[in-house]
Amino acid sequence: MSKQYDFSRALAEADRCLLCHDAPCSKGCPANTDPGKFIKKFKMQNIKGAIRTIKENNILGGACGVLCPTARLCEKECSASHLDRPIKIGKIQEFLVRHGREINFKVFEKPEVTGKKVAIIGSGPAGISCGAALARKGYQVTIFEKMEEPGGVLRYGVPSYRFGKDSLKKELKDVTDLGVEFKCSHPIQEKGEVQDLLSKGFQAVFIATGLWDAADLFDKKPAGVYNSVDFLSSPHTIQSDLIKDQVAGKKVAVIGGGSVAMDCAGFAQTLGAQDVYLIYRRSFNQMPAEPDEKIESLENNIHFLILNQPKDYITDDTGKITGIKLARTQLAKAKKDQRRVPVEVKDSQWSLDIDIVVEAIGNKAFEDSGKIYPGVDLDAKKLIKASLEDCRTSQEGIFAGGDIVRGPSLVVNAVQDGKTAANTIDSYLKQRKA
Amino acid sequence: MNKKDIDLSIDFCGVKFKNPFLLSSSPVSNSAEMVARSFEAGWAGVAFKTLNSDTTPIIHPSPRMNGIQYGNKKLVGLQNAEMISDRPLKENLADFLYLKKKYPDHVLISSIMGFSNDEWAYLAKVSEDNGADMLELNFSCPHMSVEGAGHHVGKAFDLIEKFTATVKRAVSIPVMAKMTPNITDMTEPALYAKRGGADAIAAINTVLGISQIDLNQFTPKPNVFGLGTISGTSGPAIKPIGLRFISEMAKCKELALPLSGMGGIETWVDALEYILLGASTLQVTTGIIHYGYDIVEDLIEGLTDFMVEKKITKIEDLVGRALTNLTTTDKFDLKRQGRAEYNLDKCVGCGQCYTVCKDAGGFALDWDGDKRQPVLDKDKCLSCMICSFVCPICDIISYKEMPDTWKRQDAVVMGKDLEDQLNFQPFKQPI
Repeated sequence: MSKQYDFSRALAEADRCLLCHDAPCSKGCPANTDPGKFIKKFKMQNIKGAIRTIKENNILGGACGVLCPTARLCEKECSASHLDRPIKIGKIQEFLVRHGREINFKVFEKPEVTGKKVAIIGSGPAGISCGAALARKGYQVTIFEKMEEPGGVLRYGVPSYRFGKDSLKKELKDVTDLGVEFKCSHPIQEKGEVQDLLSKGFQAVFIATGLWDAADLFDKKPAGVYNSVDFLSSPHTIQSDLIKDQVAGKKVAVIGGGSVAMDCAGFAQTLGAQDVYLIYRRSFNQMPAEPDEKIESLENNIHFLILNQPKDYITDDTGKITGIKLARTQLAKAKKDQRRVPVEVKDSQWSLDIDIVVEAIGNKAFEDSGKIYPGVDLDAKKLIKASLEDCRTSQEGIFAGGDIVRGPSLVVNAVQDGKTAANTIDSYLKQRKA
Repeated sequence: MNKKDIDLSIDFCGVKFKNPFLLSSSPVSNSAEMVARSFEAGWAGVAFKTLNSDTTPIIHPSPRMNGIQYGNKKLVGLQNAEMISDRPLKENLADFLYLKKKYPDHVLISSIMGFSNDEWAYLAKVSEDNGADMLELNFSCPHMSVEGAGHHVGKAFDLIEKFTATVKRAVSIPVMAKMTPNITDMTEPALYAKRGGADAIAAINTVLGISQIDLNQFTPKPNVFGLGTISGTSGPAIKPIGLRFISEMAKCKELALPLSGMGGIETWVDALEYILLGASTLQVTTGIIHYGYDIVEDLIEGLTDFMVEKKITKIEDLVGRALTNLTTTDKFDLKRQGRAEYNLDKCVGCGQCYTVCKDAGGFALDWDGDKRQPVLDKDKCLSCMICSFVCPICDIISYKEMPDTWKRQDAVVMGKDLEDQLNFQPFKQPI
């Protein structure tokens, strides 16, 4: 991880900002965090104003400052790129949010309560964002969370070395200070339970449950093979010590090429793995992870085994994994507008000795996830059908956003969905009253 | 012409300097140990930290300085409330002997400040007797709190003449009077110094100012245990003030004394600007406080390369060269007009030009949001050139003179329809 900015470094970077008219960076932020505005405020020594701009627009401004793939969002649009390199907007944002806490600056004043109640299912980025926005409008918000602690992917899906749990705690405190109530260890899991909430005093429900089932590579899953969800959440579950003991000093293979795979590889290293291999069947450039994540992983001595197709797991007598059969691939000729497909090289099979495997090939919705909201239309992947324009589902009073609507996506997109849903819910409830 | 053909040495009041760059009398010239290092780095001489005669105890305030920051840029100015030397006179004079012994080719200027006529004479004499090549009379230190000293003298012109005359009678080495800028016209006190017999003028000392206020204690900085003061501001921020005073004295035919220029010099360009406006030696403190003695290498190399480029071999040939082009606004040829010219090949699309033209200029720019580029309405451009000052690219915006047939479009009158309601008579000069 690159070093966090302190005040002088943040100011030096902000000094490079060209203070663009009609700032393109601001247009590049999916959640309208408005970097053009908060950097200008920072430069004008209006530091509290800068922090206010961030947090009012993006309740998870601190998390997004760290986790956003800024290189393809705000920073991609930065005019300073044409001079030499973009302003490091994410790092300035993270600094400002952190600085606000250091100077004990409270962005939000206590809202006036209207008495109307809204339920949110899931305390990840979409749920938090929606909850905070509604609370600021005076709604009484309850967020139901099945896990023991709130945060969703920020707690259970992102390794601490990337986004510290202390930072999460502080970001969550801004939300509870607004009056949002978290009901943790409170799964909404019974058939039709979401609809039931509407008859239990909640006037609207926002579903933001995310994607917590992991795709499997093969039918069999020998001992020592984990999926990314279990692996990354392990520090917060009973598996914690088990996984740590299994990984320390061992050879770990992570299968996949996305951001989650990079996180799994990095996390394995922090647990003390002797060697971490990253196995991906396509090319380096085809890996969906962000370019800087890939470079950072390489520099952190993750062994990239690109153009390698996992064929099978090798196990010992007890059924525990001891290796992976792999086949070399090469990319076929490009077909029109399609990315080049990996084709196995004949007689190229080889095997890699391995103690632990982590499959990081994508998150999906639980097969039965729809049972708690039977009136809501789903697509074939069990994702909720909802418009990103207003987060309305097919059922009145029920709204949805985040990954359970979009499929695997970014924290910042979930934040925007939460904001969108809050606006829709607000106008829906105002209309209903009228 | 080559670098070896360039002669940076200069004769100043009959004293030979191997180059025009000196330490000014300040924290950077506080002891021989420091000055020796500066000589090794390439400085030609020193105006040593102002001596005191041990009659008045000198204790510097703590803290004594405050930096002025602009955005992330440090030390664009410095505020300093330090007094004259707090060292015993004997120790300073012993340092004089050491410097002259070890660096006979370097110039030692003794800066002195007396609190009485006799004390001025005494300090002048001991300086000369212990190796000083020149004297600099400190009529300008703005923080000396003793009545009758420092800038209090600099503002009482008859005292300048009196003390200068006293010193001139006491010594045979050249005498330079160092002036305060905290007045409206420097030529007047400079002429008093000349009448007292001064051989040269040094300017400017620091500009009185307040750099910053501690917002938690409501106390100007440096915050000396709850209290602040108005004291000397120096550094790049005050260079325009220094250049102005030097040029005015250089233009004063009656004065006609060599000038030692200072005030915000950091680079050879700053130094050259002082030279072009009439200074023939240059003194530096804040630049050294910011970057150390090594900047003299860049001063020397930069000035030398410039002289090679311009085929000028001697510093004298540069002194005052810009003065003939320095005039008053009434001499300008106002018939000649122009406008900004845009070459957008390298434009990065920040639109700062658009913002400033709209809010501070002639509203001559429109904004093409799709291309992210300014569109110039040439006839509306005021030629204020503010856009070029904020543009991050050096050669996008230039000035272009227009033919005399060109007419600038007048600013829009928003109240055109309201003219019948005007309450207005044209001004007529009473006879």
